[in-house]
Amino acid sequence: MTPLITIENLAVELQSKLILSHVDLSLSKGEILGLVGPSGCGKTTLLNTLAGFIGQSAGSIEINTGDKLIKITLDDMLPPEQRNIGMIFQDYALFPHLTVTENICFGLKKITKVEQAQRCEELLTLLELNELAQRYPHQLSGGQQQRVAIARALAPQPSLLLLDEPFSNIDARLRNELMIEIRQLLKRLEITAIFVTHNKDEVFTFADKIAVMHQGQVLQVGAPALVCQQPNSWQVADFLQLGSWLPVMFSATENSLALSSLIGALAPHRIKNIGACKNAVLTNFQLLVKPSDIVLSSHEANNVIIEHIGVTEQGYHYLLSSLEQNTTLAFSQLSFYSQELFMLGAELAIQLKGEHFLLYPT
Amino acid sequence: MAPIVVMLFASINVSSDLFAHLWSTVLPEYIRNTLGLGILVALLSLCFGVPAAAIISQTNIVMGKQLRWLLMLPLAMPAYLVAYLYTDLFDYAGPVQRVLRAWFDWHSPNDYYFFDIRTLGGAAIVIAFVLFPYVYMLTRTALEQQDRNLLRASRLLGCTERQSFYQIALPLARPAIAVSLALVTMETLADFATVQYFAVNTLTTAIYDTWLGYGDFAAANALASVLMLFILFVVVAEQRARAGQRHQSNRPNTEHQRKQLSLIQQILASIFCWFLVFAGFLLPIILLLIMAIDYADYQQFTALIDTGKNSIEIATYSATIATLIALTLALFQRLHQSRARMIPVQISGFGYAIPGTVLAMAMLATFGPLDHVINDVAKAFDFKAPGLILSGTVFAIVFAFIVRFSAIANGTINAGIGQIPKSLDLAPASLGVKTLPALFRVHLPLLKSSILVAWLLVFVEAMKELPAVLLLRPFNFETLSTQIYQLISDERLEQGALGAILIVLFGLLPIIFLNRQKDSK
Repeated sequence: MTPLITIENLAVELQSKLILSHVDLSLSKGEILGLVGPSGCGKTTLLNTLAGFIGQSAGSIEINTGDKLIKITLDDMLPPEQRNIGMIFQDYALFPHLTVTENICFGLKKITKVEQAQRCEELLTLLELNELAQRYPHQLSGGQQQRVAIARALAPQPSLLLLDEPFSNIDARLRNELMIEIRQLLKRLEITAIFVTHNKDEVFTFADKIAVMHQGQVLQVGAPALVCQQPNSWQVADFLQLGSWLPVMFSATENSLALSSLIGALAPHRIKNIGACKNAVLTNFQLLVKPSDIVLSSHEANNVIIEHIGVTEQGYHYLLSSLEQNTTLAFSQLSFYSQELFMLGAELAIQLKGEHFLLYPT
Repeated sequence: MAPIVVMLFASINVSSDLFAHLWSTVLPEYIRNTLGLGILVALLSLCFGVPAAAIISQTNIVMGKQLRWLLMLPLAMPAYLVAYLYTDLFDYAGPVQRVLRAWFDWHSPNDYYFFDIRTLGGAAIVIAFVLFPYVYMLTRTALEQQDRNLLRASRLLGCTERQSFYQIALPLARPAIAVSLALVTMETLADFATVQYFAVNTLTTAIYDTWLGYGDFAAANALASVLMLFILFVVVAEQRARAGQRHQSNRPNTEHQRKQLSLIQQILASIFCWFLVFAGFLLPIILLLIMAIDYADYQQFTALIDTGKNSIEIATYSATIATLIALTLALFQRLHQSRARMIPVQISGFGYAIPGTVLAMAMLATFGPLDHVINDVAKAFDFKAPGLILSGTVFAIVFAFIVRFSAIANGTINAGIGQIPKSLDLAPASLGVKTLPALFRVHLPLLKSSILVAWLLVFVEAMKELPAVLLLRPFNFETLSTQIYQLISDERLEQGALGAILIVLFGLLPIIFLNRQKDSK
């Protein structure tokens, strides 16, 4: 199956600063891609480049609509109105001087009035907006405005829908419900979509595929579960908050290498991605430690101190610092869960358990 | 406000003969001229201001940064000055026609056609040249502050750049354009000196003539009331337009891509913008400078110092009092969250709409009788009669200025206070600081630049204002504007060129200041 959209080696330069580089992505029809990354990583720029608001400085974008191939290259940067792309803006960008119906019909100039009315009617029904058809945007609630924005973007039947932080203005309690509702709608209509968020929970609820961006580059693309199990870099694991970080060092024993840390040593076979790390033996490394990887130790001396206590549904959540702070292996903010209540400032002895660790150079 | 009520009341009691007489003779023509002038100036300002705003805010015109503020400069030019200077330039005896006659060997007016500037149309053009910056400024700001996502959304929905400008940007700027046109119309209806010089009879000139020419106070009062009705109409229109201005965005549209003009478009746009700057500011100021250099002498200079001192004195009083009142009202409104708090500001804001001539009539109608009462009371108690302490002194002028210009001060200070987050009203209390000290330590420092701008704007308007001073001034009391008006009437502006330049220079102050303030943001 040929992909619906293919982005190859895309780069964007603004005011002689490289904002995006070497971006390669492809999506099949009906797939929903979530673009995540910290603020300023270039995800909104990527969206704006796809839409045609920003020109690329290298690379190409191909959109296969089924009956025609839209090719956007350096020589032929199509203006936004010729790209057949729809967008839902963070603040919805509804035209304040037009009614709901007029907003929805805005992009339907090419078809007859009768067809326009029919398409509009369908969308109003689909999004349950019939009673609001003659209202103005300022007379609608946030959720209603968002539904109008969706209807307006879908009306011209775009081959690709872009969503810029679509849920950031929605009440936290309603957000999950709404995300599921919209995801079902997009799936039913087989809409291909790319959406941007800085919230990792949104991406796991909404997307089929996620792309983690960092400093203008896509670090990893894949199904959410796969990316979580096998983050390919420190930044990906850090952004997705898959665990806390423990500094470790390679130390030579008589006949093999071992990893040492302030809470005990680790044999190399317990590191899943040891192959990738061996090449850089003498640099510093960080071990990704999930809360379940840490247990209290009965035979070790106290090695950590409790800096913070929080209450969660999984019991007490402790943030730990190493007792020894004057070495390169010192750490802080190590997460640890326990049903038992300790005192703030208490000293504990902990050790690592578990067989599958991930190690990253820093 | 009270004087206006007294005036309207007095005019209702005018004997009906007089009004019937006015109606059957000159009134229809005056009204026709007044309305015609208002509509023409509004139309011309629209044709000058909106395209200029669009060019500056949307395109990559050469020297756009400079044109941005150059286009505001005509505001500093009093219309009557431009009127005089252009008449000098384009009249039969003026240099332009002389040169044309010399080139084409024409001998008399019958040999060729040349437009006559001293007409209603001429007055409209001249007034529009100096008032269009209102339309330009408000429209440009509206266009620049539009949410750029709205324009982007329209592009994705199939609009070309041009279509999205006409279908989204312009309709959204409509309330701003309407407000600016209302301002222009109010200023035009209030104009006195330009139409007087061009001998176009409007209601303002009629009021002046009936009162000072024929001494018919009642008739002048009636005319002022008619003018007031027109103004009321414009004010209502303006308020309605403002109510429509609710689409504001937190994401100003400044960083959007500017339209790249082709060479021909670039040339046409440049000619258009530079023509406006030239006609509204550069040409008049050059003509004034030439006059000033040619006719400068010592005597003129000393006279200038005297009248200049009067002008600055009145303007300083008015600006200071108006700013203080505005500040008090604004703070009062901010800290007292009742419904009634809106009323004082709304009422005092109305003053700006009242033409100086009407206001002066109202002052005379109120303070004249009041003076008589004071004198009678003084006599009854065997004191020496104090004379016309209210109506015949600088007091009346300053009072009129405050009534007329407090809307400017209110507007500026309210805008400034609106930018102070509401949480700052509450924060001092949470830190144990009482309301009054909090005002001095938090609000006033934050309002510093708004206060300065408000003061400057009132000061400059007070320096320029003419008709109210003409009607209210004590004998032998001259300000820069009355002196220039006198010299213009006598066709010898040359002797007042320095003073005129001074008025223009003062007028530039707030424009420069506002511009610098914007750049530093």
